[in-house]
Amino acid sequence: MRDDNKPNETKRSKLSRRDFMGAAAAAAAFTVVPRHVLGGPRNAAPSEKLNIAGIGVGGQGGGDIRAVSSENIVALCDVDWRHASGTFKRYPNARQYRDFRRMLDKEDKNIDAVVVATPDHVHAVASMAAIKRGKHVYCEKPLTHSVYEARKVAEAAREHKVATQMGNQGQASEETRLMCEAIWDGAIGQVHEVHVWTDRPMRGINGLYWPQGVGRPEDRPPVPETLDWDLWLGPAPYRPYHSAYVPFKWRGWWDFGTGALGDIGCHRIDPVFRALKLGHPTTVEACCTIVNDETYPVASRVTYEFPARPGFDPVTLHWYDGGMKPPRPKELKEGRSWGTNGIFFVGDKGMMLEERLIPESRQKEYGKPPQKLERSPGHHKEWILACKGDKPAGSNFPDHAGLLAQVVLLGNLALRPALKEKITRVKLHWDGDAMKVTNLPEANQYLRREYRQGWTL
Amino acid sequence: MRKKKEQGKTRDDRVSRRDFMSAAGAAAALTFVPSHVLGRSGARAANEKLNIAAIGSGGMGGANIKNCATENIVALCDVDDRHAAGTFEKFPSAKKYKDFRVMLDKEDKNIDAVIVATPDHTHGVAAMACIKRRKHVFCQKPLAHSIYEVRMLTEAARKYKVQTQMGNQGHSSNEIRLLYEWIQDGAIGPVREVHSWSDRPVGGDPWSDFPIMARPKETPAVPETLDWDLWLGPAPYRPYHPIYCPTTWRGWWDFGTGALGDMGCHIIDPPFWALKLGAPTRVEASTTHYKPEVASETYPRASVVRYEFPARGQMPPVKLTWYDGRLLPPRPKDLEPGRKLGTNGTLLIGEKGTIIHGSHGAGGVRIIPEKKMRAYDRPPQTLPRVKGGSGGHEQDWVRACKDGKPASSSFDYGGPLTETVLLGVLAMRLKNIPLEWDSENLKVTNCDEAAKYVKPEFREGWTL
Repeated sequence: MRDDNKPNETKRSKLSRRDFMGAAAAAAAFTVVPRHVLGGPRNAAPSEKLNIAGIGVGGQGGGDIRAVSSENIVALCDVDWRHASGTFKRYPNARQYRDFRRMLDKEDKNIDAVVVATPDHVHAVASMAAIKRGKHVYCEKPLTHSVYEARKVAEAAREHKVATQMGNQGQASEETRLMCEAIWDGAIGQVHEVHVWTDRPMRGINGLYWPQGVGRPEDRPPVPETLDWDLWLGPAPYRPYHSAYVPFKWRGWWDFGTGALGDIGCHRIDPVFRALKLGHPTTVEACCTIVNDETYPVASRVTYEFPARPGFDPVTLHWYDGGMKPPRPKELKEGRSWGTNGIFFVGDKGMMLEERLIPESRQKEYGKPPQKLERSPGHHKEWILACKGDKPAGSNFPDHAGLLAQVVLLGNLALRPALKEKITRVKLHWDGDAMKVTNLPEANQYLRREYRQGWTL
Repeated sequence: MRKKKEQGKTRDDRVSRRDFMSAAGAAAALTFVPSHVLGRSGARAANEKLNIAAIGSGGMGGANIKNCATENIVALCDVDDRHAAGTFEKFPSAKKYKDFRVMLDKEDKNIDAVIVATPDHTHGVAAMACIKRRKHVFCQKPLAHSIYEVRMLTEAARKYKVQTQMGNQGHSSNEIRLLYEWIQDGAIGPVREVHSWSDRPVGGDPWSDFPIMARPKETPAVPETLDWDLWLGPAPYRPYHPIYCPTTWRGWWDFGTGALGDMGCHIIDPPFWALKLGAPTRVEASTTHYKPEVASETYPRASVVRYEFPARGQMPPVKLTWYDGRLLPPRPKDLEPGRKLGTNGTLLIGEKGTIIHGSHGAGGVRIIPEKKMRAYDRPPQTLPRVKGGSGGHEQDWVRACKDGKPASSSFDYGGPLTETVLLGVLAMRLKNIPLEWDSENLKVTNCDEAAKYVKPEFREGWTL
């Protein structure tokens, strides 16, 4: 993921792609022309660089912008200019905004693609606004804050034929490919049980952690001068500013984040989805430590049941977070790590920890599966190529990420405090096509939520 | 262990039992004579009452004492007069003490039996002091704070031939006997998988309010009524704070044994007994995690502990999983939609069916689904019932003290049950390491660090 910042060269074409695409989006009747007519992706001349804008450019957003900085970074938007200052400095020519709606209005003609890396609760409105303007979108995981939003955003991406990619970069890895190929090769036979776990939320990235299982703070510190709190809230219900939410700690709050499952589930359940060709589950159930209406629980287990798919038996997937783990198999040699964020497949002919069979002697015996999948040029690169007309990126919204995000977020629904008592009595039966829980209708209210006045999808 | 009841012996009125028994205790060379030689026929005469003392008289201790009030409550000990005030008032003629060692010295000749209901960290030293004086002992669960203490107590009770009972009152219930009989009957076939869970440490009872925090820095004054040094007993010294006592010691590693220690002796008890689990060979725990300065002081918010028990006779190996902090096992297939898993309970998964029960001695034991329960042709009763069921637990011990037949949860049973529970507690300290357990030698064979948790050091001045 190296920076490949080549010096800017002059544009050859009088009709720049940005003009072209802006026009395409403006005229609804006008069919979007596939990007490849604008020049082959594999020989992209400098003049064919994409013009990219960023929404949410501090933290992870800064990393994403860097990863696409082979292109022109033309506009940057963040509700907190201090948080964004590092990225602002790195791209001094990019115009700076606070409100993404304003940026999209002003820069509509100047941008081809948008990178969305806001907190979870703003993903959908920001991505959707960009998609509706015909902009390609790279959006951080989880794709959205609610199941409904994930479905709508994925549908819109298909409808508007934009190139998309969700920020689960592990999908582009060699390990994910090896995992899929070994399963498809029958290395461990039919898989009936999968365990996926993370140490989140209590040991977040860089040794930080975000609190879960806590209540809303009562004091009202002043909003930092650099932050537009109302914009940060976006479509979420109003509440006074507090440093308990921003930056970063928003992950633990129902109104803003999606907890450990939303954060890591899209990374770690993704390869399982691919390897076992999962779709919607038929049931979901969950248990967790004490939970309130403000924050996600400290630890949880979520269990999904998936029906048979062509070539695959039904499978049960157990998710654990907060330090909970599945039982360590005896076949795993003592001293070998069981991992803090693991994937464990139990097949009828063997077991796999991540992409390796266990015990290690079986892996050695087995060697490498026959290669069936093309290797990735890199997660962000996939998207850039797709924007330029190449094939869809590995975690594009309509074919993959929309569904994955819906399933991950469905797990959070099963952790809702208001449903907790009822969920000890039933599994939630899920009708994926109809997008509804069929045996506990009141659960469906959590599939989407009302936006604050002034915000729409 | 059962002794044949001897009938028809008349009582020697010149030697009261209390004198006789204290004499037995004083003279080590003198073989202990079972209390049944003192006569047990017919209605209990007033002078046949036991003389009972209590160590830890507030809270749960108060309830245990009340349930023994058929006997003479002759001495009460508590490190906090105010906490014990209710019990003290109820038994005005009982002598009052703060230090159980002083009480045992002074009252040695006057007491036959002792109820121990202190916080967990004092169970071991208090119960052992009594046993060595040949007093019968009723001790709250878990039997002690460490596995080593439990083993020593179990062996000492056997050696000194005293009658004992651990305070897991559910073991006297009718339901636990039903479970045993059903399992014996093969109602659900061989069992390989057991799940037990508790909503503690956040269950709702005030005394289950387990703190999760670093050690407080402030050092408030010790209440006038409390002897803090005695409350600490064998535990490492630390300054007084109300966050430890009288009620929230359960959440602190140094004093309590967490949700598993608290509830495991109730909830794991039925499968432990019915499946004759004995000692596990392997245990592994996962827990929620938190900052080291918190984690080194208080029990985790939630944990999952996995035990493996080897085959016993015809019974296949068993995997038993413990969940606390409101974590639960996956919903079993046999449980009808709409039917609650319950806040505390156990599932026994057999080859031919599933049994579910609640806490405290297999409460509400049922084969699931209910249709299968109703169709079940119940076996004839093979086990004798305890008079009064769970509510008769203390009296079962009183009976044992008098007729010499072991009480329902004597240390011979309560000891191994507690060892199993405490091994899980130990695994939480060494979480994510599968520990291989050599029960006979009290040793984790693949982790040297475990030794200090099997047998923690006592504070100077305290011995077992």
